Amino acid sequence: MTAEQQAEKVSPLREIMETREVELNLGPQHPATHGVYRALVKLDGERVLGMESIIGYLHRGIEKWAEYRNWTQATPIFDRLDYVGAVLNCHGYVGAVEKLLGVEVPKKAQYIRVVLDELQRIASHLVWLGTHGLDIGAQSVLFYAIREREAIMDLFEAMLGQRLLPNAYPIGGVRFDFPKGWVEVCRRLLDVLPQRIDEYEGLLTGNRIWRQRTIGVGVISAKDAIALSLSGPTLRGSGVNFDVRKAIPYSSYEDFDFEIPLGQNGDVFDRYLCRVREMRQSLRIIRQALDGMPEGELRGKVSKIIRPPAGEAYFTIEAAKGQLGFYIVSDGGDKPYRVHVKSPSFVNLQGIETMCKGNLIADVVAVIGSLDIVLGEVDR
Amino acid sequence: MDFATIMQYVGWPLIKIVILLIPVFTVVAYMVWFERRLLAFFQSRLGPNRVGPLGLIQPIADGLKLFLKEDLVPLNSRPFLFKIAPIFAFFPAFVGFAIVSWALPWVTPSGKVHPFVVADVDLGILFVLAISSLSIFGIILAGWSSGSKYPLFGSLRSASQMLAYEVPLTLSVVAVVLLAGSFRLSDIVAAQQKMGWYYLFPGILAFGVYLVSAVAETNRVPFDLPEGESEIIGFHTEYSGMRFAWYFVGEYANVTLISVLGTTLFLGGYDIPFVNDATLYAAHPWLASILGVGVFAAKAALFAVFFIWIRATWPRYRYDQLLKIGWVVLLPIALANLVVVALLKLWLLR
Repeated sequence: MTAEQQAEKVSPLREIMETREVELNLGPQHPATHGVYRALVKLDGERVLGMESIIGYLHRGIEKWAEYRNWTQATPIFDRLDYVGAVLNCHGYVGAVEKLLGVEVPKKAQYIRVVLDELQRIASHLVWLGTHGLDIGAQSVLFYAIREREAIMDLFEAMLGQRLLPNAYPIGGVRFDFPKGWVEVCRRLLDVLPQRIDEYEGLLTGNRIWRQRTIGVGVISAKDAIALSLSGPTLRGSGVNFDVRKAIPYSSYEDFDFEIPLGQNGDVFDRYLCRVREMRQSLRIIRQALDGMPEGELRGKVSKIIRPPAGEAYFTIEAAKGQLGFYIVSDGGDKPYRVHVKSPSFVNLQGIETMCKGNLIADVVAVIGSLDIVLGEVDR
Repeated sequence: MDFATIMQYVGWPLIKIVILLIPVFTVVAYMVWFERRLLAFFQSRLGPNRVGPLGLIQPIADGLKLFLKEDLVPLNSRPFLFKIAPIFAFFPAFVGFAIVSWALPWVTPSGKVHPFVVADVDLGILFVLAISSLSIFGIILAGWSSGSKYPLFGSLRSASQMLAYEVPLTLSVVAVVLLAGSFRLSDIVAAQQKMGWYYLFPGILAFGVYLVSAVAETNRVPFDLPEGESEIIGFHTEYSGMRFAWYFVGEYANVTLISVLGTTLFLGGYDIPFVNDATLYAAHPWLASILGVGVFAAKAALFAVFFIWIRATWPRYRYDQLLKIGWVVLLPIALANLVVVALLKLWLLR
């Protein structure tokens, strides 16, 4: 049964009783909307007949802002897009500029980037896991997840000097090698995390209530998901095997052996499983990167003042939320002429109407959680 | 009317009520503290530990804060209903304590009996069930009079939830009443003492049904839909200050009451396990009574710990799933159990 049909047959009473749709404002100040997302939900009782996303409450003009800085100064601005996955954003922008400049990033720098990227991916997924759990009422997971994320934040602080928005990469490579002892601490974390992920799975994956709340809820078919150009775990939950790290490898991802977890039904549970399994794969990648760390330069040949040749470049990475693309245009000057961000949260949010139609209001919250949106990235 | 009659019907009951209410209020206030601390330990945090030693002054600080807050009445609410609604949530929970029998009655040397209960009503448990169903008015009125959609949704959810779970709850209580042959709580405890078994064992199914329905009746995780924080913020969205506090206190009083009742019905109330209460009482009446109250409190605390444990572990059910469990799962179990218990009573436990 399609969502529309489901919504149609909701209320047999409608034929004999006069009922009215209720419009409910979910957000922008609502605990489950992960920031300042606002949804105008049309309800029949508790059943969702339709919904409209209203965004823009966190618009900060990041793309325009970047045009007033030179190419290097613009880097930290993009950390603020998806503030729980800052390192990945930085990689996206820096990668685009490097592509335009034609700089070759040294192998060692690429490996270090992979380690930091994957740590950030885990950190981002941990925040998602905690908040998603909290939305569905499992509040303890949040605290456990934040505890582990704290360890990753500490690693960032030790290496990059900042926890949340570390401005991780300069154009052309990385700034520092791992500090002394960092790798050992990181390896210890790698040993601990699988057990901790088992713990979360023990609390959620096998839990009857969790399964009842998530299986068959917020379904989106592979066809719809592709048509809406969803990406990341949101797309892979529907069983589409597309991951930028495999499809268009960047930063030496082709060197590593890892799997892309796929879902089948495209429901909230499959998206949940995809992300949890992705964390385990990220651990695998980090381990391989640390083991196979090559020797060499940290930065490619980049002049102090960066003036890319006039032209344009598009570079895309697999961020924690999905495919993050940077389209940059240079007029040959020291400032970007235009930076456009294809942000995964913004694109994935398009799927929410398809997913929610015909479900209950409580499912809307589950679906928002399963999309893993960050409003900083949606509104930019 | 002479002084003695007035004392008998007005004076002593009032004194008893005050003596009962002070500890009940304290327990309810410290329930909040206990829950927050325990929950924090489950979640690898510390919880409130700043105000006073171990954070023990926290409930008083919280109460004071709520007391000093502005009393806000929304413009498009119905002020009269809006203002009286919290009373309905608050008082039924406290009235229920009146019939709970806390320990063996004292017999003075002159032969006068002082029962450890405010009102030893012979239909005690029915009285509690009747009174506690009044508390739903507090929720419905709050939702209706707030003039806002979220409270309305919350209260509608609550209405159907309470309807769905009151039936199995009552049926599980009826099973115990059948076993004991009385509605009076002190009789139920006495029957358990006489049998030598707590009703937990012959009534294990009833106990299960009672536990699940109790969680649902008190609107706690995984059945906390009326206030499902993350979806419908709750029927008390528009309330602030002391009016909100009434709901809050009422909720915890309900949790306490339901723990206390569960203890009486299924865990033998003030009966001290592995000890012959009658002989102990004959030897040291004071000691037996004090121990009895202590044991009672400890057993009731087990319930509270159980509720908090659930809250730390489980996600929340969805509205339709919750109603389904109530009507399709719990109700048939409770009914079947009632038949089983009746047969047991007929053949085995005569």
